[in-house]
Amino acid sequence: MATVTARPAALEEVPASAVEISRTRALWHALRRQPLGAASAALIALIVLTAIFADVLSPYDPLETRPEIRLAQPSWEHPFGTDDIGRDVFSRIIHGSRISLWVGLLAVGIGTAAGMVIGLLCGYCEGRLDLIFQRVMDAIQAIPALVLALAIVSVLKPSTTNAMIAIAIVIIPGNSRIVRGAVMSAKQNRYVEAAQAIGCQHPRIILSHILPNVTAPILIIASIWLGNAILIEATLSFLGVGTQPPTPSWGLMLSSTGRAFMEQAPWLAIFPGLAISLAVLGFNLFGDTLRDAWDPRLRNTR
Amino acid sequence: MYKYVLRRAVLAVPVLLLSSVIVFGLMRVMPGDALVALMGESGNIGERELAKLRKDLRLDLPYHEQYALWVWQMVTLRPGDSLFTGEPITTSLKKAIPVTLELAALAMVLGIVIAVPIGVLSATRQDTPSDYVGRVVAVSGLSLPDFWLGTLVITFAAIWFHWIPPIGYVSLWDAPWRNLQQFLLPAAVLGYRLAAATMRMTRSTVLEVLREDYVRTAWAKGLEGRIVVYKHALKNALIPVVTIIGGQLGVLLAGTVVVETIFALPGMGRLTVEAILFRDYPVVQTNVMLVAGTLVTLNLLVDLSYAWLDPRIRYR
Repeated sequence: MATVTARPAALEEVPASAVEISRTRALWHALRRQPLGAASAALIALIVLTAIFADVLSPYDPLETRPEIRLAQPSWEHPFGTDDIGRDVFSRIIHGSRISLWVGLLAVGIGTAAGMVIGLLCGYCEGRLDLIFQRVMDAIQAIPALVLALAIVSVLKPSTTNAMIAIAIVIIPGNSRIVRGAVMSAKQNRYVEAAQAIGCQHPRIILSHILPNVTAPILIIASIWLGNAILIEATLSFLGVGTQPPTPSWGLMLSSTGRAFMEQAPWLAIFPGLAISLAVLGFNLFGDTLRDAWDPRLRNTR
Repeated sequence: MYKYVLRRAVLAVPVLLLSSVIVFGLMRVMPGDALVALMGESGNIGERELAKLRKDLRLDLPYHEQYALWVWQMVTLRPGDSLFTGEPITTSLKKAIPVTLELAALAMVLGIVIAVPIGVLSATRQDTPSDYVGRVVAVSGLSLPDFWLGTLVITFAAIWFHWIPPIGYVSLWDAPWRNLQQFLLPAAVLGYRLAAATMRMTRSTVLEVLREDYVRTAWAKGLEGRIVVYKHALKNALIPVVTIIGGQLGVLLAGTVVVETIFALPGMGRLTVEAILFRDYPVVQTNVMLVAGTLVTLNLLVDLSYAWLDPRIRYR
C-alpha cells in the first residue's frame, strides 16, 4: 500500500521538473534563433544593469544644478546636454531608469499576484464567487486603463508610489481572466480529478496540481505588461500626476522641461522619449519571444 | 439574434452599475473636499454660505442617497453642473464630444487604412526585408509613447516646415479645411498606435489562413494572387482583427486624453483630465461613465459584427 501511494507523488515530480527544463530550453532556443528576441534580452539586461549601477555610471549628480551651463548642447562633457537649470541630462536619464524599472516591476508584481489569486479562486471554485468577481472585473475593464489610473492617482495624491498602485489595479482584471481560463482548462486534467478522489485538500490541489499549469501564461503576460506599466508611469508623470520633481523620471523630464524648451533645446525631449521607447520596446519584444517559445495560443490576448 | 442582443444588453446593466459604484466611490474618497478647493479660489466665505453651498450641491445627503440621486440624474440625462465653471455638464459635453469623436474616427480610419494592407503585405512576403520593416514599424508603434511622438511631431513640423496647426478650435462644419489641419496630425499620432496592434494581428491571422486548404485550392484553380489574398484569405482573417480593433477602442479613448492635451484640442479627454486635476467630481463621474457606457456598447457591436464577417457564426 505504501508503495502505491508513493508512486503518484514520484510520478508528478518528474514531469514538473521536466517542464521547467524544457521551458528554459525553449526560451534559450527561441533567443538563439530570433535575432530580435536576443536583442530584446540584451536591451533589458542593459537597462537593469544601468539601474543597478546608476550611481557608478552617471558622470554627475542628477540633482546638481549649475545655472551657468543651462541648456548646454550635447558635448563630450554632457553627452545628452543639460536642462534649463544646468542639470546633466545623461545622468538624469541613467537615474530615471530606476524609477521606471522600480514602478514597472512592483506594479506588475502586485497586479500579477492579485490577478493570479483571484483567477485561481474563480477558476477553481466557479459558481457564485466566480460570477461576482468576473462582473467586478468587467466593471473595472469598462473604464479605460489610463483614465482609471488617472482617477486613482488623483484620489491618492500624485506620487511615484501611488502611480504604481494605480497601475497595479489596472493590471488585475486582464490577468485574473487569463489565469482563470488556464485554471479551468487545467482542471479538466485527469490527475486533478484523481487528486480530488484521493481526498487532497483544496489548497494542495490548487498549489501543486493547478498552479504549475498557469505559470507560463502568467510569466508571458507579466513580461508584456512590464513594458505597458513603464509606459503608463511615464504618461502619468507626463500629465503631472505621477513622479514629482525633482526626482528624475523619464515621463516627467519630457513634460516639464522637454516641452517648454523643445525648440531651443530639442535634446531635452528627445533623449528621455528615446529611453522610454527603448525600455518599452525591449519588454514588448521579449514578451513576444517568450510567448512564441512557450504558448503561441496566447497571441490573441493583446 | 434579437434575443442575443437583448440578453447582452441586459447583462451590460449590472456591469455599468458596478462601474458607476467604483467611479462614485473613487470620487468620494478624494482627499480635500471639492468645496474647500472651491472656497480657496473665491476667498473667505462664512460658515453659513458654505453650508448653503453644500446643500445646493447635495453634499449634505448620506452617500447612498447621493449615489441614488446621481444614478437618477444619469438615467434622465441631467447630470447637473460643473463645480468650477458652473456650466451645465451637458453643455460642455455637447462641445467636447464632437471633438473627440472626430479625432477618434479619423485616427481609426487612418490606422486601419495603413495597418491592414501592410499586415497583408507582411504576411504574404513573410521573412523578407519588407516583412521585417513592417514588423519593426508595428512593434515601435506599440513602444513609442504617444505624448513623445506628439511633442516631436509638433516641434519638427514647426522647425522644419515652419508649420503650426491653426490655434483655436473650429468645427468641421464651419471651416472644414482649417479643422482638418488641426486634426490630421493628432489623428495620425493616435492612429499609429492603433495601426501597430492591428498590423501585427492582420499579419499573424493572414499567415494562418494562407495555410488553409481552401486557399491552396484557390491557388490551384489558377486564381490571380490578389483575388486569393484579398477575397479568400483576408475576409476570414478579419475576425481576430476586428476583435483587436474592438479591444483597442479603450486604448484609443485613453489616447485622446494625452493627444488632446498636447495638441490643445478641447475634447472629452482634456475635459476629463482638467476635471480630475480640479476635483470637479460631477464632471469626472459623468465623463467616465459616458466612456464606460460607450465602450460596453461598442464591444457589443464588435461581437455582433462577427456574424456578418463569418456567416457560420450564429447567435442564440
